[in-house]
Amino acid sequence: MRRKRLEDMKSAVSELFELPREIMLNLPKISMIGSNQMLVENHKGVIEYTPQRIRVNSSIGVIRIQGTEMQLKNIAADDIMITGEIKTVEFI
Amino acid sequence: MFFYILWNFLIGYLVIRVEGVSLEKFINLTVTNGIYLWGINRQNYTTLTAKISIKGFRKLHGLSRKVHCRIRIVDKRGLPFIIYRYRNRKMLAVGMVVFVLILYGFSSFVWSVEVQGTESISPEKLIKELEALGVKPGAFKPMLDSFTIENQIILNMPGISWASLELRGSRAILRVKESVKPPAIVDKDTPSNIVASKDGIIHDMIVLDGQAVVKEGDTVKEGQLLISGIIDHSDTIGVRYVHSMGQVIARTWYEETLELSLNEPYRQRTGRKAEIKYIGWDRLKVPYSKEAVEYADYDVEVLKDGFFITEIYYEVEEVYWKSNIKKARKKLEELAEEKVKQAVPRGAKIIDKKVKYDMIESDKLIAVIYIEALEDIGMQQTIVTQ
Repeated sequence: MRRKRLEDMKSAVSELFELPREIMLNLPKISMIGSNQMLVENHKGVIEYTPQRIRVNSSIGVIRIQGTEMQLKNIAADDIMITGEIKTVEFI
Repeated sequence: MFFYILWNFLIGYLVIRVEGVSLEKFINLTVTNGIYLWGINRQNYTTLTAKISIKGFRKLHGLSRKVHCRIRIVDKRGLPFIIYRYRNRKMLAVGMVVFVLILYGFSSFVWSVEVQGTESISPEKLIKELEALGVKPGAFKPMLDSFTIENQIILNMPGISWASLELRGSRAILRVKESVKPPAIVDKDTPSNIVASKDGIIHDMIVLDGQAVVKEGDTVKEGQLLISGIIDHSDTIGVRYVHSMGQVIARTWYEETLELSLNEPYRQRTGRKAEIKYIGWDRLKVPYSKEAVEYADYDVEVLKDGFFITEIYYEVEEVYWKSNIKKARKKLEELAEEKVKQAVPRGAKIIDKKVKYDMIESDKLIAVIYIEALEDIGMQQTIVTQ
């Protein structure tokens, strides 16, 4: 309960001061260009990688990306760039 | 992105194939150890290809044992590997150095000289003057001191008030400004008349000072008084002497007679031509495009464009003027006009031209050309008073 209230306050503060939420709340930031490129920032590692399915761990759970001929274009400590035909993005 | 690819090419990278069961673990481990991977592509369940920097690969070595993966290098890409491949070919390196040196060496010479800003002085004259001062194709740039050359140009060439020599790349550009002559000082104290310098019909008169003696439409002879400096008017007491000034525009005529023997041959181009193209300099030239020149008689025209020299051979045949009277007339007219124009002073306006032809015994063509011009015929003549 206490934790929930802290999260709410953080959210309110970041909204008030227009601070980037992904840093304040430690959330993943996902940006996509069409359906061919996807950048996941603030991730917590790759759980599964096949050309058809990629699962990326994050603070809010696992992000599952499904598609065809997907590649990890580059991977660094806090961002992953995925290229290929992306069909679905799910949060599980 | 382009610079990123270029940077990778310059420092070199490897394409590796990783074989193992837990490849996701391998990826995560590289990330947490600060090894940068890109272009990751999973071939099948147990194999994966990726690109990695040389530095990263060294760090990877100890890591692979932890996750039980086999890592093999598939390809080595980038400049360091290319250099390594050619390490024993020393002449290649020598060639590169020589190339750079030649490029640098040749760019420190002047290859062309240009002159800008001339009006009445011919650029060729200035180019000749520059050549005497050392600025010519083949001159070594560091030996040229533009400041002294500019000063020398201004000193040596009369009529130039400013000069600037710019060495831009392999070009030497001389910009000049010609000086404007000051107008002649009119000595208003000496009384003078204006007389006609040649025969003509007065077309227009502007009298600024003095008394006009003739009027528009009058025919005047050479030496005739046009504007008098002696003013003797009934309104004034006595005689006044003035320095008369004014413009007397008159119609004048020039005539020239020329003849051409019709039995003489002339050279005429038949329209057939052959071109030989060279690349080179002066006498040192190599043909790269050649057409056969198989004419009995020809004229040569040489065109130069930097290092490209084109020689055009025109086939020529000898034709008698007799066979082409029309052309003979035209030619004669051209010659006559050229000759008569030499007699017309600068500043005169040609308003009419007439050519009359005469044929004598069908072997001589005579052309008489008349030119009518408008010009100032006024000439100062001082009045001698006791």
